[in-house]
Amino acid sequence: MSEPSREQVRDMMVVSLARLLRDGETVFHGVASPIPMVATLLAKQTHAPNLVYLNIAGGVDPEPDSLPVSTVDPVLIRGARSMVTLTDLFDLAASQRLDTAFLSGVQIDGQGRTNMSVIGQFDAPKVRLPGGAGSAAIMPRAKRTLIWRTKHDRRVFVDRLDFVTAAGNVDRVVTPLCVLRRVDGRLAVESRHSWASPEELAAATGFAIEVDESTPITPEIRTDEREALLRIDPDGVTLTEF
Amino acid sequence: MQSKITTLSEAVARIPDGGRLALGGNTIHRGPGAAVHEIVRQGKRGLDVIKTAGSYDIDLLCATGCASSVSAGYVGYETVLGLAPSYRAAVESGAVVAAEHACYTVISGLRAAIQGVPFMPVAGLFGSDLLVARDFRTVADPYTGEEVVAIRAIKPDVAIIHVQEADEFGNARIVGTLFEDVLMAQAADVVILTAERIVDGSRFEADPSLATISSLYVDAVVEAPHGAWPFGCAGEYEPDLAYLTGFVQASRDRESLQAFIRDRVLDTVPA
Repeated sequence: MSEPSREQVRDMMVVSLARLLRDGETVFHGVASPIPMVATLLAKQTHAPNLVYLNIAGGVDPEPDSLPVSTVDPVLIRGARSMVTLTDLFDLAASQRLDTAFLSGVQIDGQGRTNMSVIGQFDAPKVRLPGGAGSAAIMPRAKRTLIWRTKHDRRVFVDRLDFVTAAGNVDRVVTPLCVLRRVDGRLAVESRHSWASPEELAAATGFAIEVDESTPITPEIRTDEREALLRIDPDGVTLTEF
Repeated sequence: MQSKITTLSEAVARIPDGGRLALGGNTIHRGPGAAVHEIVRQGKRGLDVIKTAGSYDIDLLCATGCASSVSAGYVGYETVLGLAPSYRAAVESGAVVAAEHACYTVISGLRAAIQGVPFMPVAGLFGSDLLVARDFRTVADPYTGEEVVAIRAIKPDVAIIHVQEADEFGNARIVGTLFEDVLMAQAADVVILTAERIVDGSRFEADPSLATISSLYVDAVVEAPHGAWPFGCAGEYEPDLAYLTGFVQASRDRESLQAFIRDRVLDTVPA
């Protein structure tokens, strides 16, 4: 299988995440989250019109007419009819009334735990990372977390995290190669994208996974999904993640 | 009520070296850019910067030796510009302590200060190494015995918040997203507002709920048109991505960073 283009990988990740969202649920993303932003808007325009979209800008169920490069930009309020504060959003998660949160990690382990803090020791790091933002508070309290990461290699998917920034209710992890699902506390391959061979996937993952020719292929993107994606993100804000 | 209008240099002079400084806004939006530049000009030292998610403000205060500790959940320029290079370098060299928070823990610490209690119980956080690394301790629910994380009160010495409109007494209207700014105003000992416009406060009388921050909490008001720059300010201007890109690129080596700070930060005229 030939190498997929950046656009093909982007399309597969956005659509796979969008399909995981359910009609009627509340969905939240935080800073630095172009792919979740577009996946949520895509779900609303396809199978989940009654999904309630929440982000740090605070508009309740906004319908932004253009997409910012920063996913906390107040332009994301547009089309909302009421507002909540960031405190309200964290409270919603803390009181277990937030259905789905999107989070990411610089490192991700076999339990779906994430490291956004440091490479090396916390007090004397080799690399100081940005920090987990709200991850440590949200991941254990949102009803479920969807993780996305635009790189899939052994530096990202590790057997042992340098630091556990967040742990909790991870449901799925979507990558450029596959969709992982957490079953009995461990990530397992639910499907591999058409361009990812079982050998490549196993070699790119630092923790043990079972994958072979019988592993399902992630369903192809439908024309209406691709068209909606390009309508929502005509300028390719999601491509800045690659 | 007495007018609280003052100059930027007089307001910033109230920040004590070694003080805890809360900055309003979030990532590249509505940070108090003009005030941060004045902090650099005045050469403040030993600041503990408090914010849920910061970018240029924290990065610059680390680059200039003003900050010695950063209490924040996220420090970076989001997807396009990525990591904050001077913050990263300062933490890796040991010059700055990264007192990492989970955003909600900053909010909870501010809430404890507002309510006059020593700590705030916070849901979640279990399973995170932050509990040990940051010495976030647990407390037993006195009714059920269940353990819950207790975050110590965060009482900033000074909070600086940039707003679109304020009257001379410090009644202020923030347009668009509030982030944690109202909590910061309520929790801090000294509150400095920088405002795009000083307005006649009688306009708030028709509906006082339009004032998102009450004069009750405010100590100084500074007229600062374009005062969030290079941060964006909702309804006024976008974040200045070209400037921020220039700063991040200049951070690659010490000489170009010093030149950038000299030409673009120190040599600009305070509002």
